[in-house]
Amino acid sequence: MTDSPRPLTAKTASGGDYDRLETLLKNLPGMAYRCLNLTHWPMDFVSDGCFELCGYRRQEIESQLVLWGDFTHPEMIDYVDRKVRSATDKGQPFEVEYRIIARNGEEKWVWERGRVVDHRSDGVAILEGFITDITDRKLAEAALMRAEAYAQAIVDSAVDAVITVDSQGSIESFNQAASAMFGYRADEVRGQHCRSLTATSFYREFDRFFQRNRVPADDVIRSVELNGCDKRDREFPILLSMREIVDIEEKKYVILIRDLTEQRHAEKEVREQRDMLAHVDRLNTLGEMAAGIAHEINQPLTAISMYAQSSLRFLQHRPPRLERLEDALEKLSQQAHRAGAVIERMQEMTRPHQSHHESVDAGRLLREIHGLAEVEAQIRNFVIVLRLDESLPTVKCDPIQIQQVILNLLRNGMESMRANRCKPGSKIVLQARNLGDRLRISIIDSGLGVSHKLEKQLYQPFMSTKESGMGLGLSISRSIIAAHGGQLEFSNNKGVGATFYFKLSIVQ
Amino acid sequence: MSEQTRPQLVYIIDDDEAVRDSIGMLLDSADLAYCSFAGADEFLADYDGSQRGCLVLDIRMPGMTGLELQNRLAEIGSSLPIIFITGHGDVPMAVEAMRNGAFDFLRKPVDESSFIDRIHTALDQESGDWRQRLDRDQNRERIESLTEREREVFRLVAEGLANKVIASDLGISERTVEVHRSQVMKKLDARTLAQLVRIHLQDE
Repeated sequence: MTDSPRPLTAKTASGGDYDRLETLLKNLPGMAYRCLNLTHWPMDFVSDGCFELCGYRRQEIESQLVLWGDFTHPEMIDYVDRKVRSATDKGQPFEVEYRIIARNGEEKWVWERGRVVDHRSDGVAILEGFITDITDRKLAEAALMRAEAYAQAIVDSAVDAVITVDSQGSIESFNQAASAMFGYRADEVRGQHCRSLTATSFYREFDRFFQRNRVPADDVIRSVELNGCDKRDREFPILLSMREIVDIEEKKYVILIRDLTEQRHAEKEVREQRDMLAHVDRLNTLGEMAAGIAHEINQPLTAISMYAQSSLRFLQHRPPRLERLEDALEKLSQQAHRAGAVIERMQEMTRPHQSHHESVDAGRLLREIHGLAEVEAQIRNFVIVLRLDESLPTVKCDPIQIQQVILNLLRNGMESMRANRCKPGSKIVLQARNLGDRLRISIIDSGLGVSHKLEKQLYQPFMSTKESGMGLGLSISRSIIAAHGGQLEFSNNKGVGATFYFKLSIVQ
Repeated sequence: MSEQTRPQLVYIIDDDEAVRDSIGMLLDSADLAYCSFAGADEFLADYDGSQRGCLVLDIRMPGMTGLELQNRLAEIGSSLPIIFITGHGDVPMAVEAMRNGAFDFLRKPVDESSFIDRIHTALDQESGDWRQRLDRDQNRERIESLTEREREVFRLVAEGLANKVIASDLGISERTVEVHRSQVMKKLDARTLAQLVRIHLQDE
């Protein structure tokens, strides 16, 4: 190092200029330098900032007792050297970020920018530049990267598809769940309009939803159920919600998509199970009614055999009493039809069947169920009063299901009346009122009524106040009425008992 | 209250009109007189204790059931035989009816020829009961016509005591006992000692 470059100050400044420059350099958050582009960069000038940066004083460095390369982190010295050379070889300024180890052992990130200012007579380049501490920035960057990775990990592990789109709806990001759901890689769909993730038949609905939510009126996240469409053109039900990403200059939106296939499947299963339970309940009902039905069939059979025997005796009479015979045979035939009707009704009760709504004469429906329920009422010593408008309309319903509901409500009412120790002959009313567009059917009992406590668990499946009850009656009844677009409701009567009612649509 | 004024009737009590009507027709074809009621209450409203015949009673009816009517009739001292008509699941009720003294019970649908047979048997039994009751009523009237002393002699003779013993028991002469005894025989319309004993037994 015999041919040290002249100090910068001597070459470029003098007098007051020098003082100003010194002050300026002192105030810089870092270290200005001049050195030779040799191994470990011997420095012949550094500014005072060197002490704060590496813990050595200016004189120690300028005397070249320690070289800059001694501070540079050993893992990075080759990297820094490469960066510097590749730039200077092309005659360009260099810029490099690397780590140093200060005198006290502390590691720091520094940023350095420099360039060739001159050459020594032997051709060695003279570099001038500036080095500053960027440790804080580097830590912040690392933290940010970690946070981003964390957020990305969450998005990627989400079960729902998470998609971000720009204000026009072009897809910007697409998480792993979205890839799994739709079969596209993220890079395949980036830039495409998010509409293309829905089935074509739902484009219009999706566009409407997108437009409406681009400028949300409030904070509520709205969602829409549509059909999605994957890469292989498979359609599946989805629930899609959308929200603006706030605090970004350009408007962006995050779209969440949930695959409803499983849910729909489960719903269907529940529905099927309920239908099956309804069937079981019908069979159960039948069991409960076995005595009643046996009675109902035995009555006409008894009459038939009596009439038959009578006819025989009239014939055997000397002379035959033919005038009585006609009457006997006619009555016999009537009773055979009566027995047939009972069996037909019973078959209808036991047949599992698809719920199909048809136009039904409400009067006939109610009178029919009244006839069927009367047997049960007789066994309990109660009377079912049929209170109907003079002419009843045609209603839209599944007659068997509705009859099942009414029968169930009548039975519940009578159970409650028995529990309330109602006198024999007490009345339970089956009433129908035309409300114009709907027909309200009410079952009015004089039982215990519905207590506040009972009210809460009234429709819960498997909840029963009856010892023998399965507790499915009301919950199934409610499902049936719901499937008819109505609601099974109740209120306690002013006096005693409760009224259960529902409405059926009238066919105009 | 004589046999001539009240003929035997079959009282049909059933809430089912067709069953009621068909039973009636069958009885008619067997030349049996009948009378129908749609319920136990209707029958009771009509009942005055003088009815003769038997009941054909449906065990299961709205309002008062057949069993309840049976109990009610027993309470008011009716001895009309009751034939119950029972349904399929009514065995326990039928058992109770028999325990309470029903004449019979028949399952629906009923076997007609045995039905007619049972009706006849029930009517015969009722005739016997009625005659017996008539006899008893007559005996009671006759016993009531005896004097105090005659009744004492009647009781002791019927119990098989010899005149001598009776005389010593009552502290009267044997001759007086003999007078009382012939008076008793005359008043009770008894010709032999055996008849006297029977009248005494019937009265107890």
